[in-house]
Amino acid sequence: MEKFDIAVIGGGQGGLPAAHMAANLGAKVALIEMREVGGT
Amino acid sequence: MHLVQRRAHEFGVRGVNPDAVTFDLAAAVVRKDAIVKGIISGIYSALKKNKNIAFFTGHAEFISPVDIRVNGKRLTTEKTLLAVGARTATVDIPGLAEVGFITNYEALTLEYLPASMIIIGAGYVGVEFAQMYARFGTKVVMLGRAPRVMPHEDEEVSAVLADVLWAEGIDLYISAPVLRAEREGEGKVVVAQIGGEERRFKAEVILFAGGRIARVDELGLAQAGVEVERHMIQVNSELRTTASNVWSIGDANGGAMFTHRATYDGPLAALNAVRGLKKKVDYRVVPRAVFSEPAVASVGLTERQAREAGHEVKVGKHLFAHTGRAKAIGQTEGFVKIVADAKSGEIFGAHILGAHADILIHQVVTAMYNHGTAEPIAKSIHIHPTLSEAVKSAAKAIGAAPVIQTGE
Ligand SMILES: Cc1cc2nc3c(=O)[nH]c(=O)nc-3n(C[C@H](O)[C@H](O)[C@H](O)COP(=O)(O)OP(=O)(O)OC[C@H]3O[C@@H](n4cnc5c(N)ncnc54)[C@H](O)[C@@H]3O)c2cc1C
Repeated sequence: MEKFDIAVIGGGQGGLPAAHMAANLGAKVALIEMREVGGT
Repeated sequence: MHLVQRRAHEFGVRGVNPDAVTFDLAAAVVRKDAIVKGIISGIYSALKKNKNIAFFTGHAEFISPVDIRVNGKRLTTEKTLLAVGARTATVDIPGLAEVGFITNYEALTLEYLPASMIIIGAGYVGVEFAQMYARFGTKVVMLGRAPRVMPHEDEEVSAVLADVLWAEGIDLYISAPVLRAEREGEGKVVVAQIGGEERRFKAEVILFAGGRIARVDELGLAQAGVEVERHMIQVNSELRTTASNVWSIGDANGGAMFTHRATYDGPLAALNAVRGLKKKVDYRVVPRAVFSEPAVASVGLTERQAREAGHEVKVGKHLFAHTGRAKAIGQTEGFVKIVADAKSGEIFGAHILGAHADILIHQVVTAMYNHGTAEPIAKSIHIHPTLSEAVKSAAKAIGAAPVIQTGE
């Protein structure tokens, strides 16, 4: 079982910059997207 | 396509037979897909470079406040940031599901051009697709439930936009709630209530462009303690949900459903979640646009909203018909309207319908960001001949006698 500081659910328009910001702040991020990234 | 077919002759271009101009939808879709593919591969390579991000493909579902299942795999996480977006609202029109319909998603992947299309909904998705398909050559009927298109925009914007759509051959009906859908031979029929009568419309394809709601299906939000109300995830001004370790951003929270809002929310929520900051969102100045042609762009309050909020307002307006550049490019429809506080002069909002409205709105956005008045726009020197002179003229007209709408 993998452990993360933060999971971002959705790799669309908002999730992508959120995941990058969290990662750049040093958090271990799981980004989860069920389709193609980019959203809508 | 539209310009070549309808306007080339007017601009002195010869040798184009408008009746011989055809449109290859499949080719346009291939071109669009290539552009999207380039963008997506850029996104993946940025993700790969970021060593702190592990990417998972699959549907995520909470199984506890700190456990998420993806593809049968379990991840444990201290905190979660929801960025699940919105989807088309579930259809509540009797018969429509049985008859079959498409949403905006399929409407961008059609490989052949339908001869006819009924669009249900006259919000921005409905308007953009109606004009796009009508210009491609599809016979479009548009049915809006509200008394005007784009009902949240300035009344005059709705009225002029409706005229533009009619003039392009779109059969637009407002105050036209859809009652049911039926099959009729090979065709699909939509029955709407128009002026106290039932009217039947038949088409090859039905595009449902109704409202959009949070995409929270099978997300297990109850397991995480995240509350949803009226189809939207509930958050406070720090974008924290009702669960203390879960934040939510973008379309799923309702409000202004735009990319630029989601990209504003994302980093702010990440800072709050990771650093424990208490940054609050500020949605006072969020511009919006409809990519019709002419385009619509607006920011802040309409004149009516400002008055209803109890403000005394003054309005400045300028028509593109009186703007040199608009005449030169032959796009004279529309206007710029700026609404300001009658006492302080602070701008409450601006509403633009016209060529490049989506760009022009930004000088008002910048002024509003600083709680500014329209004076710097009115007084600063603007390049001639540009469409932005119309914004300057509207700023100058604030408090002046109202513009009389001329025939053009
Ligand atoms: C037809 C149309 C035209 C538009 N035009 C414009 C425009 O011109 N300008 C503009 O600013 N905005 C436009 N928008 C709106 C814009 O697309 C959205 O506001 C923006 O995408 C919202 O970003 P988001 O991150 O909230 O959601 P999205 O970008 O939709 O991303 C959500 C992502 O989460 C994923 N997801 C959801 N649930 C799960 C789950 N359980 N597990 C895994 N993944 C999940 C989805 O697959 C999706 O990729 C348009 C929208 C539509 C429908």
